[in-house]
Amino acid sequence: MMKKIAHLIKSFMLWELLKGLAVTLRYLFSRKLTVQYPEERAPMSPRFRGLHAQRRYANGEERCIACKLCEAVCPALAITIDVAERADGSRRTTRYDIDLFKCIYCGFCEEACPVDAIVETHIYEYHFEEKGTQIMTKDKLLAIGDKYETEIAANKAADAKYR
Amino acid sequence: MTEELVTITVDGQELKAPKGAMLISVTDKENIRVPRFCYHEKLSVAANCRMCLVEVEKAPKPLPACATPIMEGMVVHTRSAKAKAAQKAIMEFLLINHPLDCPICDQGGECELQDMAMAYGQDVSQYSEGKRVVLDKSIGPLIATELTRCIHCTRCVRFGEEIAGVREMGMTNRGERARIATFMNQAVTSELSGNVIDLCPVGALTAKPSRFAARAWEMIQHASVAPHDCVGSNVFVHVLRHDVIRVVPRDNEAINEVWISDRDRFSYEGIHSEERLTTPMVKHNGEWKRTDWDTAMGVVSDKIKAMLEDDAIGVDKIAALVSPNSTLEELYLAQKLMRSMGSGNIDHRLRQSDFSDQNSVPVMPWLGQDIEDLENLNAALLIGSNVRKDQPMISHRLRKAVVNNGAQISFINPRTYEFNFPVASNISVAQQRLVNELALIAAAAYKASKNAMAPHLKNILTGLKPTVEHKAIISQLKTAEKSTVLMGNLASMHPNSSVLRALAEAIAIETGSVLGYLSEGANAAGAWLAGAVPHRGVAGESENIVQGYHAGEINNQSPAAVILLNVEPELDSVHAMKNTLAQADMVVAITAFDSPTLRETANVLLPAATFTETSGTFVNIEGAWQSFKGVCPPQGDARPAWKILRVLANLLDQKDFDYMSSEDVRNELRSQCESIVLSNTTVADASIEMNPAGDELMRSGDVPMYAGDALLRRATSLQKTSDADTFCLRVNSAEAARLGVMGSDSVSVTQEGLSALMNLVIDNSVPDGSAWIPMAIKGNEQLGNAFAAIKVEKV
Amino acid sequence: MSTVDTQLSKHSCEKIDALIAKFPADRKKSALLGALNVVQHENQGFLTEALMDAVADYLQLAKIEVYEVASFYSMYELKPVARHNVAICTNICCMLMGSQTIVDHVEKKLGIKLGESTADGRIYLKIEEECLAACTGGPMMQVDHVYHENLTAEKVDEILDGLE
Repeated sequence: MMKKIAHLIKSFMLWELLKGLAVTLRYLFSRKLTVQYPEERAPMSPRFRGLHAQRRYANGEERCIACKLCEAVCPALAITIDVAERADGSRRTTRYDIDLFKCIYCGFCEEACPVDAIVETHIYEYHFEEKGTQIMTKDKLLAIGDKYETEIAANKAADAKYR
Repeated sequence: MTEELVTITVDGQELKAPKGAMLISVTDKENIRVPRFCYHEKLSVAANCRMCLVEVEKAPKPLPACATPIMEGMVVHTRSAKAKAAQKAIMEFLLINHPLDCPICDQGGECELQDMAMAYGQDVSQYSEGKRVVLDKSIGPLIATELTRCIHCTRCVRFGEEIAGVREMGMTNRGERARIATFMNQAVTSELSGNVIDLCPVGALTAKPSRFAARAWEMIQHASVAPHDCVGSNVFVHVLRHDVIRVVPRDNEAINEVWISDRDRFSYEGIHSEERLTTPMVKHNGEWKRTDWDTAMGVVSDKIKAMLEDDAIGVDKIAALVSPNSTLEELYLAQKLMRSMGSGNIDHRLRQSDFSDQNSVPVMPWLGQDIEDLENLNAALLIGSNVRKDQPMISHRLRKAVVNNGAQISFINPRTYEFNFPVASNISVAQQRLVNELALIAAAAYKASKNAMAPHLKNILTGLKPTVEHKAIISQLKTAEKSTVLMGNLASMHPNSSVLRALAEAIAIETGSVLGYLSEGANAAGAWLAGAVPHRGVAGESENIVQGYHAGEINNQSPAAVILLNVEPELDSVHAMKNTLAQADMVVAITAFDSPTLRETANVLLPAATFTETSGTFVNIEGAWQSFKGVCPPQGDARPAWKILRVLANLLDQKDFDYMSSEDVRNELRSQCESIVLSNTTVADASIEMNPAGDELMRSGDVPMYAGDALLRRATSLQKTSDADTFCLRVNSAEAARLGVMGSDSVSVTQEGLSALMNLVIDNSVPDGSAWIPMAIKGNEQLGNAFAAIKVEKV
Repeated sequence: MSTVDTQLSKHSCEKIDALIAKFPADRKKSALLGALNVVQHENQGFLTEALMDAVADYLQLAKIEVYEVASFYSMYELKPVARHNVAICTNICCMLMGSQTIVDHVEKKLGIKLGESTADGRIYLKIEEECLAACTGGPMMQVDHVYHENLTAEKVDEILDGLE
């Protein structure tokens, strides 16, 4: 009986509304968390998994040895590789395609790679305007790798002690 | 023979097994897994990898299961702490020098060492010293070496010695410097060499043609049947994204055991040949145009329909020449189409030139026994057979008979071939004298049996005086518990094959041996059953069928329309067919490959599927029907030939061609073949005529191992091996002296008005009176029939 | 056996035939070690490819079998070596008795390392010679089939200088 009366009074005094407004008031004076993207950027882990890249050794030789482990481990079947023997007898890819529409950015390819050739970079701002351009070919991947090698190497080094 | 059984205990499980059996063979049978590298059930025990160490109670140290014979009351622990420690230690030793290059190793994913390292290896290596590196040697076009990976199990060495019968690989040096090598880095030449790729437990020996092409886990494995010889070896075809990557053996103890020949293993390369025909093509005013199926089939059916209606041409001017490598379904539909149009002019015996006994030959060429039985033989006589290259798996069984039973195997050939087993006698005489030589053996057979000569042989056997060698062959056959007389490929190609057959049969009867045939191509037996012969219908039916002309006659009958099924006329036939085809109004070639000769002679080219792209059936030499499925889509617009023939029959308004699958076709044929009882006993012809052997130099030849069919001729790696022959003239040194020519001279060979230039090779395996020119390889189109008198002049 | 057409000298063939006769007729392979010894001795202490082929043909063995044996045993030389074969045992007993000082001494004296021949073609120092079963007399060495035991630097000098 008493409960019912209390409820009635609370309803008439808009108690719930005041409770809600109190939260609003509190946040009005608390520290702001919103990041003003694109002017502001959230901090990023060295393990962030963005756009893929293929790396080279310091001497310019591509790292990838076409072992196809990334293709095998890829849960989305986004990677397609063709292999052939290069003139010097080494095993190299003739095609290395990642379909970014299929890719789920799980990073398994990076985990599987025995030579740290395929990596996921910090890049996450990209888009495609034409059908077919979502396929990252070997040339595109190597170009990204060449451009961001310093950053990739730094991230790898930062993460190395936890592996 | 009953074996003494003993009881042993393995991991607490009581097992009964024959006394003296090796422990590992017993555990394998019971599915108790003992790790191993060097042990292989088909090879001798070497016990040099030590991986199979197990604990045996009362033995002071762990014992290798592969070299420990079992005894009564033995108690074995395969997974005790002691056994595990031993296995782990061995694994560590084996990995010391093994490189960590699994990601680029073709064996990765199907590697025994990888699997064992997962199961028995340690996570971290304690070894930090330098690893051994072995420089690679090229050992031929088929096998890639990466000898740093070798763990010295010597399976490849033992394979060469025990199975291939040629010791080509060996382990040289010792200790840390031990390595597998061929003598002075020579190429491995055995026709079975590819099997070492499967045997190698690591990636030291891998397949060169499929090097780096795919990883083991991504290929899809399909069962199939090898399409090149009458054994019908069982294979697996490995396919990656619609492309055939490689072919490996499929175990079948009754046929190919666990092996296949290099021919069956590497012929798939031809599938990807640039010469593949991928669209139908029609010749219009001398110009070849690519077209679609409707147009091409329309052209063919309109033309043939017009011919059928034209009284001046007549149905017997339509002929079909089919390859014995075609599937049963294709052959059956081809003959059904021909006969339903009213023509019996169909033949698959394109390399046969003597047809005189065709009415009395058995229903199909049959081995007369199971392939497995061959290894129990005590004596054999092979007539006109280079069995080692023609049917390597048959040769393997014969080798087993020689090695295990001490069988006496003799050959009578038009050339001295080398075999991979010791041969009792290896007679070689010129092709034209082969009959006389065999007649001497037959005469010896009658002398030994003291029976009266068969009347039809009397005129050729009377008065012959066999030598000691001939008598020895007969006494071997006669005294042997199990003996056989086999007619090989060269015997059925021989211009006097009917006489050879009559003599072989007489020898078999008089010595109590089994008569058998080895046939050409993958499906000659099937071709006979399917009725792809002019004088007999399905299942050997010779009455109530449309009879026709045989391959030799078709060539002389100037047919108006010819259907070629998987045939390259200048290479697949001993008859010079070019002119016949050039004169025909309509030549339809159902073929997987484009070729200049086909472009020259045919009017329509219809692209057909190869063996991996079509379903079908091959009947092997022991009469086994082996069906297989298409494992990848045909290239381009190519279609399975059975579908092409079925649609062609529909377009020609023939009845009962409503098959929905190749199985329908096969089942229809099968139901008609059920009553066949295989037998090689034949009704002897009343008279046997022998063509007199002249003194002139006669051309003869064989089909080189890698030239037998269109697919093989385009298998690029096989064509780089030493078994791939070139177009040249071989004579022995005495004959060369008579001709006044020297080795490596360029000579002009003239035959029936045709002539060709070629190199001369002095080869003393060619007998006197013989000029050896291999068949079925490029250059043959310049000359005429394969067996004829020729003139040789130096240029 | 003399019917076989061979590169081997008549003397070698006779000796090999004598070896073959010691073993059962179907075990010709058993004579291989001896045969290679004979042939190497006649060919200034080393084997050539042609000679190994000839031995293989003579004993009806595969060429690789002969090569396996010839490369396995340290007593066969597959490359041309100097006239005198000097093999200093470096196995455990001799090592304990100071074979290393002998080796050092000889290397210094001749100016070559183990496994090399002197420029004048006089002395070949065998590499990694294993136990020659003369442990009681270590350090020891074998010079052209003759054992020399209880070596000292002076003794070695004397022996080596005495070689033609």
